[in-house]
Amino acid sequence: MHVSSMHFKRKAVEKLGDEKLQQALNKLQSKFVDGRAAAIAELPNFNEIRDAAADIRERVVTQLDDYLRRFELEATARGAEVHWAESVEEANRLMADIARRHHVRRIAKSKSMVSEECALNDHLESEGFDVIETDLGEYILQLAKEPPSHIVAPVVHKSKEEISDLFEEKHRRTRITEITELCREAREILRPKFLAADMGISGANFIIAETGSVLIVTNEGNGRLVTTLPRVHVAITGIEKVVPTLEDATTLLRLLPRSATAQSITNYVSILTGTRGQNDTEGAEHFHIILLDNSRSRLLGTELQPMLRCIRCGACMNHCPVYQNIGGHAYGWVYPGPMGSVLTPAFVGLENALDLPNASTFCGQCAVVCPVKIPLPDLLRHLRTRQVKQGLRPWRERVALRIWSWVAQRPSVYGLFSRLAVRMLRLAGGKEKRLHYLPGVSGWTKGRDLPAPAGRTFHDLYRRKPIA
Amino acid sequence: MRVGLFVTCLVDLMRPSIGFAALRLLETAGCEVVVPSTQTCCGQPGYNSGDEKSARVLARKLLREFEGCDYLVLPSGSCAGMIRVHYPTLFASDPDVLESIQRLSARTYELTDFLVNVLKIEKIPGRYSGSLTYHDSCSGLRELGVQAQPRALLSKMPGVTLSEMTESTTCCGFGGTFAVKYGDISARMADKKCEHIVKSGAAAVVAGDLGCLLNIEGRLRRRGDLLTRTLHIAEVLAGENGECT
Amino acid sequence: MSARDNILARIGKARQAAGHDIESEIRRHPCGPVPPLAGDLASRFDEQAVKLSSDVAHAGTITEIPGIVAQYLRQHDLPRKGVCWPVLAPYDWRSAGIDLQARGARGDDMLGITGAFVGIAETGTLMLLSGPDTPATVSLLPETHVAVLGTERIVATMEQAWDRLRLEHGALPRAVNFISGPSRTADIEQTVTLGAHGPYRVLIIIVG
Repeated sequence: MHVSSMHFKRKAVEKLGDEKLQQALNKLQSKFVDGRAAAIAELPNFNEIRDAAADIRERVVTQLDDYLRRFELEATARGAEVHWAESVEEANRLMADIARRHHVRRIAKSKSMVSEECALNDHLESEGFDVIETDLGEYILQLAKEPPSHIVAPVVHKSKEEISDLFEEKHRRTRITEITELCREAREILRPKFLAADMGISGANFIIAETGSVLIVTNEGNGRLVTTLPRVHVAITGIEKVVPTLEDATTLLRLLPRSATAQSITNYVSILTGTRGQNDTEGAEHFHIILLDNSRSRLLGTELQPMLRCIRCGACMNHCPVYQNIGGHAYGWVYPGPMGSVLTPAFVGLENALDLPNASTFCGQCAVVCPVKIPLPDLLRHLRTRQVKQGLRPWRERVALRIWSWVAQRPSVYGLFSRLAVRMLRLAGGKEKRLHYLPGVSGWTKGRDLPAPAGRTFHDLYRRKPIA
Repeated sequence: MRVGLFVTCLVDLMRPSIGFAALRLLETAGCEVVVPSTQTCCGQPGYNSGDEKSARVLARKLLREFEGCDYLVLPSGSCAGMIRVHYPTLFASDPDVLESIQRLSARTYELTDFLVNVLKIEKIPGRYSGSLTYHDSCSGLRELGVQAQPRALLSKMPGVTLSEMTESTTCCGFGGTFAVKYGDISARMADKKCEHIVKSGAAAVVAGDLGCLLNIEGRLRRRGDLLTRTLHIAEVLAGENGECT
Repeated sequence: MSARDNILARIGKARQAAGHDIESEIRRHPCGPVPPLAGDLASRFDEQAVKLSSDVAHAGTITEIPGIVAQYLRQHDLPRKGVCWPVLAPYDWRSAGIDLQARGARGDDMLGITGAFVGIAETGTLMLLSGPDTPATVSLLPETHVAVLGTERIVATMEQAWDRLRLEHGALPRAVNFISGPSRTADIEQTVTLGAHGPYRVLIIIVG
């Protein structure tokens, strides 16, 4: 997907002023934040389960090659073909080759964030294939030609009215405004596409080393349809998605739906292994699995390694006060919020996403809700450190920090300047005892006053305090 | 008990009354308090901006300054968190000083945590009458587990009516340099915090970190609210209706 | 060097430690922590299934099933024609006025009747295994899905379901589908709407 993370600051300001978006984002609190809390509260041993989940993912990440080899062995033994792609270009090429090999024309797709990384649909369409998204949210985005703004709820930024407008325009039917009717219309439009598709493309929430299986969680049924009806099924996912056993997948499944959509379990959990059996009357005749690297392996052995535990639940962004105020599009790539602020610079280059690791207060709520205990603020801080080491910070910032550090090491210099500064600020604050504007910190004073200091420093007053 | 007080650079510059309030609270509880005169900054601004080197220099300086104290107490969850949680990480590969840093961290406390869990104070020297709402500053809450302590102390003040706001644990948007670098987002977050404060009906908002209070006050005043006070927990506990000299 | 070689080499080079024997770990497949489940399994299954918007009915014996289905279809004003798994074909559907064909479902079938491998009490979930006699489309394409589940097939957790599967079947079928109610979406304004691409309603008949 095209990267626009370098425009984060400008886009964030735009999004703050987008009334429709702000109204849509208000829904995050009750649905995702309160909802998750209620779903977690149903598990009396939640902390124990979370520790186990983090442990499973950490174990896999530290021996990723062993588990991947085992997965490949099992999957192949059951008749699937496993392909490896280092880059998104390679993955796209593999996908098109598979489609051509099987004389595919029509493709039905269920949700896959990895496919967004690849801009897969664009590539397939340019190669002459007919691709349709079947996840309702992704289908809406396909019609609107927009990228997703959230990894689980892709059209969280759109209102019902906007969707009604879109359906009216694209389906050329009378305008519908009721949500149930909009869903019914989407079902009617998409049902024939499922039935006519030669190939189904899905993602994978997990791949299981024990059995060579691909595991998909969905609510709509489209995931089941695209992996059952067409004669070819291709699952594409990241190399880090492997888990050891069915029991491990089960442990993670206790936390993924609760963290993502406040559900105890998603409506459908489908575990797909191999191709259609000899006497089966349905199911894919050909099952391909594409394992994408795209820089994931480069995170191993670095401070960013814990990021590979991620199970793409979206809890971090749901609880992030920055995301809650600007939504996902400002982040400029596939993954928004805290996890996106780590993955984007890691995958598309530090210099292309300078703002993302910096646009955080380190409030820490993301780390609190992460089901696999990724220390997100630490990872963001590490990226800031990398930016400094690579000389990517603006000179004004470097100088200001250097001055502060120099002064803070020298108590008498610090004392002199601080006494001067607070006296000046106190005067500038005047009778109102606050400043409406201060050059150098206009970022603060644009939206807030700056309370004037007392005028004397603590150390100054303390030194002159009469001893009792 | 020899307690070292690190007032923090923000308190030193912007609101010394917080430092004096902390001093009064500790002395009233029977501590021998020392305030090393060379103290400046704990190094967090540099650390959070990715400059680990400057953070280490200031950490070593702080370590030297508080060598002789049994405890190090700060009226700030953010700076206490820096020393307690992050100093050991900063020196993980510095074996010569790591042990001393770990001992320093182990005896570093945020003020209310110290008052409740170490000094176990029963009598609160200050007097306050009116309604308050409490904002849970992020570092104090999530790095140090400060949440029950300030409320426990406030409950011992007969004149205080605590009116909890919704989303008291949501970040106010300060975040150090974030407030300047991403001022628009920061101001919006502050605005939402102000909404919750106003809805609580309290006459004042109390917190354990001056950064949060300056941010919140800045937004309150810009919104035209000149009445809602912003008080540090130390000022409420030690002063006369929040006033401390 | 293939992509596979490059990727595995990069991973291998970055590894910090020798690690443990994954083979024995996988063979043992230890369970993680399981939430405590109070009460008896059947009532728990019932309660959770209803919570997730399935309809639940009870039959003393299998002879009652066609009647229960007929009543349900009448109640909801639904057509009494559909498809079923072959194992259910011998029931007396004719007397109940229901016309069923024992085959996989097509796009225009409105009713699908299946059995279930097990029911999972923890979340009120049905576990279905695909196969020549248990086509997956029957529970997926029609607007109404009816599932027949024996009480003795209700287990507490998904972990217990895996144990049963390993015991009774050995290997996994092409598709294991866990179904927890009618298909749904919340993509539009985060409002949950039942009936997306799969069934609009699920009736679970618990027998015994």
